[in-house]
Amino acid sequence: MASITIAAMSKSYGGRYLQMPALQDLDLAIQDNQFITLLGPSGCGKTTTLRLIAGYVTPDTGTIHVGDRLVSSPAGVVSPEARGMGMVFQNYAVWPHKTVYENIAFGLKLRKLSSGQVRDKVEEALGLVNLKGLEGRFPNELSGGQQQRVALARSLVVEPDILLLDEPLSNLDAKLRERMRGELKQLQRRTGITFIYVTHDQAEALALSDQIAVMHAGRLQQFGSPFEVYNKPANRVVADFMGLVNLVPGQIRSVNGDSAEIEADGGLVLAAPRPAGMAAGAQVDIAIRPENVRLTAEPGALSGTVSELTFLGNLCEYVVTLPGGRNLRVQTHPLQQFAVGESVGIVIDPSQCSLFPREPSADALASAA
Amino acid sequence: MSQATLGRVSLERGRPASLSTARPPSRLARIFSLENLVMGGAIAALFVLVVFPLCFLLIGSVWGDGGFTLEYFSEALSGRLYLQALLNSLVLGAWTGLFSLLLGLPLAWAVARTNVPGKGLITLTANLSYLSPPFLTAIAFVNLFGPNAGLINAFFRDVLGLPWLGFNIFSMPGLVLVTVLHTFPYVYLLASSALQSVDASYEEAAQILGASKWRTVLSITTPLVMPAILSGVLLAFVNAIALFGSQAIIGLPGRIVTLPTRIYSLFDYPAQYGLASALSLLFVVITIAALYLQRSYLAKRSFVTLGGKGARPQLMDLGWAKWLLFGFCLLVFFVSIVLPYATLIAVSLSKSWGLAFWKGLTLEHYRFVLFDYDVTQRAILNSLGLATVAATVAVFLGAIIGWIDIRTHIPGRKFLDYAALVPLGLPGIVMAVALIQFWLSMPIALYGTLAILLLAYVGRYIPLGVRAANTSLRQIDPTLEESARILGASWVHTLKEITLPLMRPGLFAGWLLVFVPVIQELSASILLFSSSSMTLAVAIYNLYETGYTEPVAALAMINMAIIAVAITLARKIGGGGIGKDPDKAPAAQGGTA
Repeated sequence: MASITIAAMSKSYGGRYLQMPALQDLDLAIQDNQFITLLGPSGCGKTTTLRLIAGYVTPDTGTIHVGDRLVSSPAGVVSPEARGMGMVFQNYAVWPHKTVYENIAFGLKLRKLSSGQVRDKVEEALGLVNLKGLEGRFPNELSGGQQQRVALARSLVVEPDILLLDEPLSNLDAKLRERMRGELKQLQRRTGITFIYVTHDQAEALALSDQIAVMHAGRLQQFGSPFEVYNKPANRVVADFMGLVNLVPGQIRSVNGDSAEIEADGGLVLAAPRPAGMAAGAQVDIAIRPENVRLTAEPGALSGTVSELTFLGNLCEYVVTLPGGRNLRVQTHPLQQFAVGESVGIVIDPSQCSLFPREPSADALASAA
Repeated sequence: MSQATLGRVSLERGRPASLSTARPPSRLARIFSLENLVMGGAIAALFVLVVFPLCFLLIGSVWGDGGFTLEYFSEALSGRLYLQALLNSLVLGAWTGLFSLLLGLPLAWAVARTNVPGKGLITLTANLSYLSPPFLTAIAFVNLFGPNAGLINAFFRDVLGLPWLGFNIFSMPGLVLVTVLHTFPYVYLLASSALQSVDASYEEAAQILGASKWRTVLSITTPLVMPAILSGVLLAFVNAIALFGSQAIIGLPGRIVTLPTRIYSLFDYPAQYGLASALSLLFVVITIAALYLQRSYLAKRSFVTLGGKGARPQLMDLGWAKWLLFGFCLLVFFVSIVLPYATLIAVSLSKSWGLAFWKGLTLEHYRFVLFDYDVTQRAILNSLGLATVAATVAVFLGAIIGWIDIRTHIPGRKFLDYAALVPLGLPGIVMAVALIQFWLSMPIALYGTLAILLLAYVGRYIPLGVRAANTSLRQIDPTLEESARILGASWVHTLKEITLPLMRPGLFAGWLLVFVPVIQELSASILLFSSSSMTLAVAIYNLYETGYTEPVAALAMINMAIIAVAITLARKIGGGGIGKDPDKAPAAQGGTA
């Protein structure tokens, strides 16, 4: 198995005159036997990173090591065919002129296996992805999900140390996506192959990954476990990208060790974990997840008026207006119902709030959330 | 499509009272609605243009003195003259196909996959070669390589004293050379677009599994683009054997008689209509068979357009070898464009073509064909008028037939679509024979008029009109039309306000696609013209036959100027997009001059 170490890697695209930085100063250490997700909106550099790891692209700066072996540097790259990796493409890239069997056998034949061995291995791979009986079909006779499995089987059958997956589920419908998600995770556990998975779907990333690398505008924002990136976002970009968040502007009133007391408009006062280096008087944004707010029938220290109610089945979403006019998004259990116009008490779990230094342009965004 | 009909029906049932009379229109009024009249007219026109003439061609080939006979077919299949013509056509087609591949594929690969310089020049070469009338190229090469008077041959013989260096254009190699210069763009265009649109991830997937570059080319790229390449070769074959002009100009003096020239000679007095019909049908069988193969190859081309979202293939850095390839491209440009055009210009300006031609440069020949000689004057005007009307009619008919095919559920609409494609498989001379057979048995005297030429042109090029219309209609979401109907617009109003404006760029492109070949049409015109319905190409051919070398060149340049002006105008009027993808032209094309 193999670990991957990426150091100070950058890549720009473009012509002679206009260079578009696609990736800047990426440092990433990926361990063996892990399911890693590169997560971010389109254009964040995640696919570029994947193609750099695969060897299709030469970095402008920086290096990639697989284990101890240097595979990419600005001076040159080990070509993709010599890396022993596997890759599943967004459009599957299942060769339309080859049958399912021929697609899967391609890599094995290149490795000069005897035809008996090839047959056994293809058979085994087909079983692994539940495609037994379809080996004679051509890709145009398969559904999207089946083509996707052919692509998986084709990459897995050569037993790569590292499997790269470029948004492999994005072309599938919701139900199938859910199922393939489960199968992918199981496959990774069973094979022990390092999976590097690119997606823009944060739910997918949370569900699948051991570690998530959140990327934005060509830069790595945070690298951590799903729990960490969701609950302890490193910055507001991460907080904003990983699900819904209220960003409430406020000011630090006093500091007490690792905790800070913050006052925000609307009479909101809470003590939240203090990020290092943040002193009393600092202007901050408080990031509050909607599910970390409780509503009570009796008005409490903080109260507001329900101005919108959306029933979402497994939960209820409210917009509650604070006395200062600021809106707060709240999610509650669906059986706990309040009417629009009703006065409610608001209880915020301060330990789950994050503080970010205020950015001048952030206000519009915060009130929209 | 089903929504289109549903939308219409529901609208007619529940039309708001304020928008029309409350009473639903009577049954009779509905049958004779403008919508049905227009569609019916288009269908009738297609029958008169294509279906009936073909039926008469078939009948004429098996109907002798008062009864059924297979005499014409047996003669066509046993006569030495006819078998020789058949063989010559096949040989010409095969060599042309092969050399089109040898010329077109390297150029396509260079443009699509390498860093060769001068890609614009290659595209230009292919487009110009495709647009150049092949009989003009033939005339230009005769002026250079005619055994006696050809300038280059004369130079080798009289100046260098090395007559064995000369090349006799009146030979099969000469005919193949001239034909290939017109047909290699078919291979080039199909192959380059296939090579460009192969999704890069297919190749990358092979690479990451361990396949070397060479292995990837062999087992992934080649099988993926092969259908497109073969398809281009077959189109080159079909077009090559249908060209009457170059086969008459180069083949006849070299005693290489081919199917078109043999059929032509059957119309010498006394005309042998039955035999000509039988021979025409044999000709059609060959082209249809080749086109059928081509279509089934092309169907597999869906390989290439699959995916599409993936990255473009990376260009190969050829290092110093790119200059070799560039040299090859320059050579093709020189032989296919510079040489023929420079020759025609030089001939048209010289007092008398020969080794010392520059000594007496003159514009006299232009004056002669433009102002002094009433035959060429009339020919130019006739051709301009015919091409304008034919292109407009073909595009309009094409739009309606395309609309019927795509937007309605009329039974038999698929037949219409096929009928409109059939002319692709008809060499021009065969179209002419069919029209003659049909109109000679009608009580209307059309033979020898401009009208029969117009019928021939519209009939021959209606597939281009239909194709242009189909392409643009498929890109227009039917809901755009449906939303006009639901707001109360009639069918005609919707067509005028929504459908046609949206189709405009496509239709202009189609118009140009018809105009350009019509202005240079020779294969059908040569049998259908009369002294009062002379056309440009026929005038050039007749002048050439009578030995007017220099005026012929002047007229040829005028022909090219008209084509250039038409393309420029159509680009301006049609707005963007038009001449920009003449790439699509040959792919859609079946026959030419």
